[in-house]
Amino acid sequence: MTSALQASALTVPGRLEDVDLDLGPGELVAVVGPNGAGKSTLFQALAGLLPTDGQILWNGQPLSSISFQERGRRLAWVGQEAIFDFAFSVRDVVAQGRYAWNDDPSGVTEALAAMDLLTLADRPVTRLSGGERHRVILARALATTAPLQLWDEPVAQLDVRHALEVHRLARHLAEAGGTVLVSLHDIRAAYRFDRVLVLDRSRLVGNGKPHEVLTADLIRTVFRVEATFVTSLVPELPAT
Amino acid sequence: MRARLALPLLLVILVAAILASLAFGELRLSVSQVVGALTGHGGDELARTVVRDFRLPRTLVGVAAGAALAASGVVMQAFFRNPLADPGLLGVSSGGALGAVAVLALGPALGLAAASIWTLPLASIVGAFIATGAVMMLAQRGAGTERLLLSGIALNALLGAGTSFLLTITAGHFEVNAQILFWLMGGLENRSWEHVWMGLPIILLGCALLLPLGRGLNLLSLGEQSAQSLGVDVRRLRRRLIVLATILTALATAIGGIIGFVGLLVPHVLRLAFGPDHRRLLPFSMLGGAAFLLICDLVTRLFPIGLRLGVVTAVVGGPFFLWLLRRPR
Repeated sequence: MTSALQASALTVPGRLEDVDLDLGPGELVAVVGPNGAGKSTLFQALAGLLPTDGQILWNGQPLSSISFQERGRRLAWVGQEAIFDFAFSVRDVVAQGRYAWNDDPSGVTEALAAMDLLTLADRPVTRLSGGERHRVILARALATTAPLQLWDEPVAQLDVRHALEVHRLARHLAEAGGTVLVSLHDIRAAYRFDRVLVLDRSRLVGNGKPHEVLTADLIRTVFRVEATFVTSLVPELPAT
Repeated sequence: MRARLALPLLLVILVAAILASLAFGELRLSVSQVVGALTGHGGDELARTVVRDFRLPRTLVGVAAGAALAASGVVMQAFFRNPLADPGLLGVSSGGALGAVAVLALGPALGLAAASIWTLPLASIVGAFIATGAVMMLAQRGAGTERLLLSGIALNALLGAGTSFLLTITAGHFEVNAQILFWLMGGLENRSWEHVWMGLPIILLGCALLLPLGRGLNLLSLGEQSAQSLGVDVRRLRRRLIVLATILTALATAIGGIIGFVGLLVPHVLRLAFGPDHRRLLPFSMLGGAAFLLICDLVTRLFPIGLRLGVVTAVVGGPFFLWLLRRPR
């Protein structure tokens, strides 16, 4: 099987230690772990945004041999911060996703629509709420049409409707052959992913199918909470 | 779109400012006299001398310095991701001035031709680069306004102290002292063709090299990591930007002295009017900066009460800066 994203002995001193990964095309991957475990560092390292030790391969090709423009076409990274200091319009920011494609505008309107931003397209990004700004940087990532999508806590600030939409989109992109990594704090949502990666204190301590990895034992040691597994989230109705 | 009208509008304003700059002064000339003097057809000898030997170099120095300062303001604001960044407030102009003043003060003792076409701008560039390096160490990108401005205050104080020291030790040499004071207050008086050649060619080249960077600057202004993830070679772009902005500021300072607030005011007004897209903002600011400086210089000439160019830009720019500080971002 071909690999979409591989890392071996990936290390960022003090923040990430000795991570080995091999993710295929079409995989929808959740990344979980407590605060400070190294989730954001892992995403930045895989995206080539940090100096690292060890090796990173995109489609079997060493990252260091891929030009910046080519990187922009192949991987989209969505960071946790959506801070804008200049009053570009929503559409202009989303269109920046086409930078590596020499500003060919195809897909920008679709990306806006996918993040429910068409009605806000002409508004300056400086006049948006935190959740709206996150939808803008997600739309910008979608506009790249990159097959590798790394989203760092994309739903933390979104309302329920838009959060569900982001999960649905992630699944859709994976079904279309993409490799989608999503970091999450809600580990309950991780059970619906194809694979889950668990980070704890800079190390990768779990990697596999959600039901096999996210056991009560692991949740206890990594997150220090007791997990109760239920088959239905709706409590029994009180007797009338 | 309003932005489509901006280029012709700014060009008209700049051409009008250039003509006014050539026509007004102690000897008032008509536009046809100015054109005659420039082309060499008709016009009297006096008008020709005044325009060609005095007003044209002064005007060209103003155009070059204004364009350079406004362009480097645009770059520094995007680079530091802070709309209040400005070559003057950050101390880069002071660095350039200290370099220039050092050559003026110490040059004669070292046997250098003080205001030669090479030594002055080179010393200015060296001084400006030292200041830029210091600002970059003190205030990292994305640093808050407080940190950035405080770094600028500290640096300006330090460099100003160096300049004051040089001013003190040359107190006995009246001519040297006057030259140094000129740098500190900024102005376009007595500009000769030597000053034009000192600054204009490299400033034009620097502006030409900046223009294609507008696309990358758009992405960089919204975050270094996101810019890199979208395909920008951030390290290379940053290096080019800071080198060009520093050289532009240094040369503007070498030929016109410290002229504050141009790099702050011009990009801001144009950004408010025509949006933040740097592909347009860069050329607009170059034209607007040139026109603004010429108009401020005209004010010093039309009201000959001892106003200096740096004083006029400060009187306009200072209140504007305070208004920006109070404005919610």
